[in-house]
Amino acid sequence: MFRRRLAGVLAAGMAAAALLTACGGDDAADGPVTLKVLTWEPGGVEYWKQVKTSFEAGHQGIKLEMQSVPFDKYPEVQGPYITSQSGPDVMANNAGLELFDRRGAYVPLGDKAAEITKDLVTYSGACEGFDTGKPCYGVPFSYQGNVLYYNKAVLTAAGLDPEQPPATWDEFGAACEAVKKAGKTCLALGLSGTFPAYWDFPEIARNYLSEDDIRALLAGTLSWKDPKLVAVLGKLAEITTKGWANKNAPSITMLPDGADIFQRGDAAFAGTIISDAVNWEAFGKALGDDKLGVTRWPTINPAAPLAGKFSGIEGAVYGVTQWSEKKQAGLEFISWLAGKENGELWVKYGKGQPLNKTVDKALLPSSPAFLKIQELVAQPTLHAGVMLSGPEADALARGWQQVTLGQLSVDKWADQMQQALERSPTKKQGK
Amino acid sequence: MTISTAPVSDPVGTDAPPAPARRPPRPGRAREWWLGAALVLPALVLAVLFKLVPLVRGVLTSFESSSGFGGSEFAGADNYTRMFDDPMVLTSFRNALLVVATLPVWIVLPLILALLIHQRSPGWKFFRAVYFVPYTIAPIVVGIMFRQILAPDGPLNALLRFVGLDPLALEWLNGRYSALFSLVAVALWSFFGLGVMTYLAGLATIPEENLEAAYLDGAGFFRRLWSVVVPMLRPTVAYWSVLCASGVLIWLFPLIYALTQGGPGDATMLPEYLVFLTTFQFLDRGYGSAIGIALFVFVAVLSIFSVRHMFTEGTRKPR
Repeated sequence: MFRRRLAGVLAAGMAAAALLTACGGDDAADGPVTLKVLTWEPGGVEYWKQVKTSFEAGHQGIKLEMQSVPFDKYPEVQGPYITSQSGPDVMANNAGLELFDRRGAYVPLGDKAAEITKDLVTYSGACEGFDTGKPCYGVPFSYQGNVLYYNKAVLTAAGLDPEQPPATWDEFGAACEAVKKAGKTCLALGLSGTFPAYWDFPEIARNYLSEDDIRALLAGTLSWKDPKLVAVLGKLAEITTKGWANKNAPSITMLPDGADIFQRGDAAFAGTIISDAVNWEAFGKALGDDKLGVTRWPTINPAAPLAGKFSGIEGAVYGVTQWSEKKQAGLEFISWLAGKENGELWVKYGKGQPLNKTVDKALLPSSPAFLKIQELVAQPTLHAGVMLSGPEADALARGWQQVTLGQLSVDKWADQMQQALERSPTKKQGK
Repeated sequence: MTISTAPVSDPVGTDAPPAPARRPPRPGRAREWWLGAALVLPALVLAVLFKLVPLVRGVLTSFESSSGFGGSEFAGADNYTRMFDDPMVLTSFRNALLVVATLPVWIVLPLILALLIHQRSPGWKFFRAVYFVPYTIAPIVVGIMFRQILAPDGPLNALLRFVGLDPLALEWLNGRYSALFSLVAVALWSFFGLGVMTYLAGLATIPEENLEAAYLDGAGFFRRLWSVVVPMLRPTVAYWSVLCASGVLIWLFPLIYALTQGGPGDATMLPEYLVFLTTFQFLDRGYGSAIGIALFVFVAVLSIFSVRHMFTEGTRKPR
């Protein structure tokens, strides 16, 4: 009797569970849809709070549930979601190869891409091969790229003119010697992790590569043993082997350790980004806007066609996941991200460079560093850093650590980079 | 016709022992068997679901070639042959061997400390609690903590310089070997408390009189350790050895993640971390699985001797 009753209860329970599962799937018609968004919160917590509030206010039927993950841990969290084809409805990746590598996780926008992105300055970084004629997998709303921030007080203490930061490689070397004599670190650097690959490599590469070379880097057809790329590696090596960076660079991360050195006022320069974290806004808060300077990375070959350009790239690209059962709501959200309302939130709270052309110019920050960045970004070029595959970025970072510690020559580093290129799944596929 | 119940004489020879009479099955025996099976079944199902199935899935994936997170195709043994040409894989297993070489320290150090506590050395109550505390701290937090402690200008080097040991104030995480052994030392710091507790549990089973008798006979600390404690504690030592042999590489993962990310260069790259990197950052699932299977074999070979020894010890009949 008891067994029969138990079996009855179990069967009823299972039936109820099956019914609930069946009902919970697609966009619910009888209540708000909850979109799960995986993000590293570019622009900061406050900006994303505003995104949630503003979007939900304008879209009564959709609620946002943010899963926030620190940027440096993001790939490790996102990877298992993609492998298991489950998880958030909307996710982000950096524009370029990082997004292309994961394109199978996103729904291509198809014909909707042009309509959604009509007010954006550019969105090619969200599309295959930086070609808007090919499938696009998401929507960017910010512009990103690398600059060299400097602490005017440290330069002054070293006897340098803070209004005339070093413009050439030789001048930078001389400035570093002066800064070191003043007892400070010249360039704050953390080589553990792949940030240096994304941030510093393109700034050297602009002095040796053409835009065609950068596209070849993306396609995996430019060998790392090519003299141009070997020269890039050689100059990267100089940064640490000449003692321009902090000694513990190989064993610390750029975020937060390397950036902390600069924010504490212990270093003259830091090579980071213009939007999201560790940008002019964060450094301005730490050092004071009046003490923060911004310049282009020093030029090595002034005659190089891209030497005076800005390595720019769309920032985080948000796309709807293949496995989402709320694709329509997801599309509404990413379309809103590309719009004017979010563009203005991005400027106001994220303190970043917007991609939307219709953003009210009066809202743009008045910080001298931000204004200088407006000058620098006016002449953009392709960003060589985002063309690197996972194995290449990893080998670049590890090789740089080893070269710094005297365990590897530049030629061997180039060999390792070539091996990394050859075992890059996406680039292998491209060939 | 009558049927005789008298025993039939052996037609072959009378010297051979009579075959044991087959007993009829006891009625309760089948029920016992079903009860036993029912009790084992949940564990068996869990083991199959969460151990065997992922393992088989891993083996199958290791024979596939995948591009990014897209589809995959059968690649035969390519992923395995590729490993022999991949310096990162070879270095990771070489590093693993170096880590394994530290196993004696993992086994002996907690034993010595456990014996010191067991014989109630001064402050034993305090140390019994303190030794276990690191084990309760999440390894990722331990990693973050030691990143500060081991920094070139961190507290450890400051202390060494303060006491006049300047030459020992190394750049712990920057050197090829110092980074790996620093990592092992941090892992040991984090996990040795578990070993001390394990040994203390084993020591509690040794009669006090044995140790007292050895003490009265004039045996010193190490004599007692070697001649009394170790022989009587062999099953516990074997258990801890198996745990360390199979666990040491896995325990290091969160520390690598938080402390070195396998660097500088490949100095602290271990197969476990490489599996993770290859699968989730390089998006090469097939190859990542192949490295994972190689690691499984490596650990299995390493553990098999200890497990066999432990089994022998555990099934040995008392004399």
